[in-house]
Formats: sequence, C-alpha cells, structure tokens
Amino acid sequence: MSFKEFQNQSRLYVIGALEAEELEEFEKARKKFGKKAEDYIGECYGLHEAFALSLRPAKSSAAIKDRLMAMVRSRKEA
Amino acid sequence: MKAIQAEDPDALSQLYDRYNGILKALILRVIHNEAEADDLLQEIFMEIWNQAKNFSSQKGKPLGWMVTLARRRAIDGLRKKQAYARAEERLQNETEQQPDAWAHNTTEEEIVLSDTRDLIRKVIAGLPPAQQQAIDLAFFRGMSQREIAAKTNTPLGTVKTRLELGLKKIYDGLKELRGEL
Repeated sequence: MSFKEFQNQSRLYVIGALEAEELEEFEKARKKFGKKAEDYIGECYGLHEAFALSLRPAKSSAAIKDRLMAMVRSRKEA
Repeated sequence: MKAIQAEDPDALSQLYDRYNGILKALILRVIHNEAEADDLLQEIFMEIWNQAKNFSSQKGKPLGWMVTLARRRAIDGLRKKQAYARAEERLQNETEQQPDAWAHNTTEEEIVLSDTRDLIRKVIAGLPPAQQQAIDLAFFRGMSQREIAAKTNTPLGTVKTRLELGLKKIYDGLKELRGEL
C-alpha cells in the first residue's frame, strides 16, 4: 500500500468505516509507515471534531449537570 | 484538562458548560432520543472525569478526545438498546421527509455560531448528497461500508468511493481551519 492509499484508508479508519479485511492491510501499512502514519491518523481525528461542530449545539437539562457534579463530588470525598 | 486530571470538580463544571451543547448534539444525532441523550451525556462526562488521566495533549485537543469518546459511547448505546429499532424507524422517517437532513443544519438563518462552525458546515454542505449520506451513516450511525450499501441499495464499491471522496474533500477543506479547531 502506498502512503497515498494509506491516507485514504486513514480517513475511513478514524470514522470506523474500514471493513475487516481492509483493517488488516491498514494495520500492516500503519506499522510500515511508523511515526508518519501515526501523525497522519492523529490529524484525521480532526474530522471527529469537525463533524461534531457541524451540528447545532443542543440544550440539556440543568438537572444533568447537578447530578453529574453531585456524583463527582461524592466520589472525590469517598 | 490539567485541572481535571488533578481532580478539580470546578474544572469539570467549566468543561461541561463549554462543551455539553456540542456533545449533546452529537449524542442526539446518534440515538435520536432526548431523555436517553441526557442520561448518556451525564455518563460521558463521568467517563471524561474518570478517564482524564489517559488524555494526552500530544495526541490531540480535548474536544477531539471528548467527541471520539462520546461518539463511541453513543454508538455502543444505540446498538445495545432496543432503541436501535425505534431510532432506525425515526431516521427512516426523517430521511424520507428531509432527504438532505445534514445540510438542513446549514441554512442561513440557523448559522449563528462561530466562523469555524460556519466554515465546517459549508464544507460539508458542499458535498454531493450521496457523499453526505454515506458519511452521515458511517460517522453518526456507526455503519460499516457493507451496512451502508445494504441500507442505501448501492454497490459496495460505490459506497467506498463516496466515503473516500467525501472524507478527502472535508479533510482538505479543514486544512485551512486546522489552527482554529
């Protein structure tokens, strides 16, 4: 697999869209390209942020935060 | 994140205030149920608190880490719960009523957020609907290429091409924004 093909596959990989047989080849190429591959995959995860930011923020109930903070504080004290 | 790693609850409170809207929108997009999304949001922030020590700023930004975590939890939740069938039905109805649902988020009157968001939406909205749909099903529904092919009655090779082209366009479009994300 060339690095250009690896780049294509990386974008599919980060969104979990590689099929099992592609994943095997991808992991081999990932080892072959080493740090360059890891750096590129890291950049591709920027797609996750982008997809999340493409949505309109949704409101959540204030009770959720109250419950969360109560749980966190009680665990911290325990 | 450093303060959260140092177990400061006030830091988590601030993080929640800053990002709960983004994460809730993501969860809702996956599971299409308000009450379940709220429950999951709480669980995800609890996981963020518990897993904060595993976050490394060298590997990315806090938002990216949180989104990845939230998406995985939301898709896991979707698959585990019986809500899957109900959400499928709702998604089907929404798709029928609104074929360009993702692009719906980009109408002019709704763009009240930052320039970054605006630009991201424009990049995504600029894709052909078939590419948007394939990416939407893969990212927000956790579907494999084969599942997308079956759902959309499209050849597997076509699905792969749509995903590759669409993701490349978005990735390239985001290059200019990378410093802002």
